[in-house]
Amino acid sequence: MNIIDSFTRIRLIAGTTFLEAVRQKFFNSLLLISIALVGSSTFFQQFDFGTGELKFITDFGFGALFFFGSILSITATTQLFFNEMENRTALTMLAKPVYKLEFLAGKFLGAHLLMLCFTLVITLALSGILYWREMALLERLGNELILNGPLIRYGDVFLFGFLQWMKFGILAAITLFVASFSNTNLYTIVVSFFMLLICQLQYIARDTYSGMEAGWERILVMGLGLMFPNFQLFNIGDQLVFDAEKTPALSTVLQIVGYGVIYTLAFVLLAQVNFRRREI
Amino acid sequence: MSTSAICIQNLTKDFAVGMRGKKLRAVDDLCLEVGDNEIFGLLGPNGSGKSTTIKIILGLLEASKGTCEIYGRPSKLVDARRSVGFLPEAPYFYRYLTGRELVRYYARICMVSRTEIDAAVDSVIKLVGMTEAADRRVGTYSKGMLQRIGLAQSLVHDPQLVILDEPTAGVDPLGSAAIAEIVRELKHRGKTVLLSSHLLAQIEGLCDRVAILHRGKLVCGGRIDDLVEEKDAESLVVQGLSAEGRAVVEAEIKAQGGRLARVEKPRLSLDAYFLKEVHERENEHVNKQEGG
Repeated sequence: MNIIDSFTRIRLIAGTTFLEAVRQKFFNSLLLISIALVGSSTFFQQFDFGTGELKFITDFGFGALFFFGSILSITATTQLFFNEMENRTALTMLAKPVYKLEFLAGKFLGAHLLMLCFTLVITLALSGILYWREMALLERLGNELILNGPLIRYGDVFLFGFLQWMKFGILAAITLFVASFSNTNLYTIVVSFFMLLICQLQYIARDTYSGMEAGWERILVMGLGLMFPNFQLFNIGDQLVFDAEKTPALSTVLQIVGYGVIYTLAFVLLAQVNFRRREI
Repeated sequence: MSTSAICIQNLTKDFAVGMRGKKLRAVDDLCLEVGDNEIFGLLGPNGSGKSTTIKIILGLLEASKGTCEIYGRPSKLVDARRSVGFLPEAPYFYRYLTGRELVRYYARICMVSRTEIDAAVDSVIKLVGMTEAADRRVGTYSKGMLQRIGLAQSLVHDPQLVILDEPTAGVDPLGSAAIAEIVRELKHRGKTVLLSSHLLAQIEGLCDRVAILHRGKLVCGGRIDDLVEEKDAESLVVQGLSAEGRAVVEAEIKAQGGRLARVEKPRLSLDAYFLKEVHERENEHVNKQEGG
C-alpha cells in the first residue's frame, strides 16, 4: 500500500462525502435551527444585567452545540454511509483499486469535516451574540465591569467548540462502527444514541471501579469502563469562559485530544474489521 | 498477454441466511476461463450467480471455496483491480457532478497521473459518445447516458479487463446498439470484456464465447455458433423460386437422400428491424435539415 496514494484517495473520498453532506437538507435545517436557537438565547434569560446574562447565553449555546451536534454527527454519518450502500456508489468505488479502510476513513473524514463546519458556525454565532451582549453591558454599566479583566474569554469559547468537535469525531467513529454491521439506518441511529448515552454516563463506571477492592470484579468493571470513552472529559466546563484561572493547561488539552484520537482510531479500525466481511 | 484474463477454479460461494445461518449456495463449484482480448458473456436467469461471480472477481466478496485470478493474480488483492474496469448494473453516481467531473474524479481515485488525466478523460468521453453532454450534471442524464458515462468511468484508467454487469438493462435498443458498438471497439483496442446479461438477443452478435449459469452451476459454455448450431442441418435461402421449381428442388433433395425438415420465411430480428427503421428515419431527418 503506497501511503501517499492512500492519503490522496482518502482525501478524494472525504471531499465528495463532505459535498454530499452539505447538500443534505437535514444538515442545513439543523444548522439553521441551531443558529436560531443560539441567537434567540438572549430573549430567554433573566435580564439581571450582570455576568449571569452572559453565563446563560453561554450555557444555552454550548447546550445547543452538544445537543444538535450529537444528532447531526450520528444521523449524518449514518446517512452518508447507507446512501453509498443503497445507491451502490460504494460498489463502483470499491471495484477500483481502493482499500476498504480507505473508503471508511474517507467517509469518516467527510462526516468529521461536516461537523467542523457545524461547530465553527455555531461557535462563531455564539461568540457574536456574546460580544453583542458584552458590549451592551459595558455600555450600560461602564468601566466597573472591566476592572477584573475582560468579561468573556473568546479563545476559551473556541477551545470548548474544538473539544466538542473532537467528541463528535468519536461519536461519528462509533456510528460508523455500528453501521458496519447493521443493515438499516434506524438500527444504526438508535444503537448509536444508546452508545452516546453510555459514553455520557461512563464516569459512573469509572467512579465505581475506583471505589472497588482489587479483584476480578474490579477488572471487569474497569474493562467495561475502558470500552466506552468518557465524554465528560470533553466538557471541560463552561466556567472557563469567564474565569481565567479555570482555563486548562495546554498539556491537559493535548491529553484530551490524544484520548479522543485514540478512541476515534480504535472505532474506525473496529468498523473496518466488520466492513471487510460485509457484502457490498 | 498470454495469461488468461480470468481464471476461476472450483469456485463456491455460500451465504448464511436467517438467524440460524442456513447456507444458501449462490455459486457452486464453478470453473471458468476467459482468454485475453475476448468478449465473454456470462448468461443466466436472475439468481443464477452471475453478480456473485462478478463480485468475487472484483474482490468485493470472498469465495467460500476455490480460487479466482485476474491475469494470474488472486482477485482478492486490491492491486489486481488496477487492471480492471467495472460498470455495475443500473449505476448511480453523484448527481451534482458533471459527467466530466465524475470521470475525472474516478480517474484520480485510480491514480491516473496529473499529466495524463485530461487526455484520458477526454478520450473516454469521446469513446462513449458523451462529448456534447459531458458538462451537464449527471442528475440530468437519461438512463442510456448514465450507462455510457458509467462506461467512461470504468475505462478512464485504461484497464486491460472490463467487466460490465447488465450493461444494457433498461436501455432502449438504440442505446444498447451504441453500447455494443463500444464493446466491439474495446476488443479492437485489445481489451478483454466480460459482460453479464439475461438479454440474450443483444449478447448473441457480440460475444466470442459465452457461459450459461443456472442456480450457481455452469450449465454449458463455448462459442455461440458451436452452442446453437444444428449440426446435422443446413439452410438454403432462395429467392424467386416458382412452385414447380420448388417441387423439383424437394424431389432432388429426396433423391439425394436428404429430408426437407421445414420451410420458413427468413426474418430479421425485431432488434435489427427496429434499428434499421430508426436509422433510416434519422438519416432522412438529418438530410432534410442539411438540405434546408
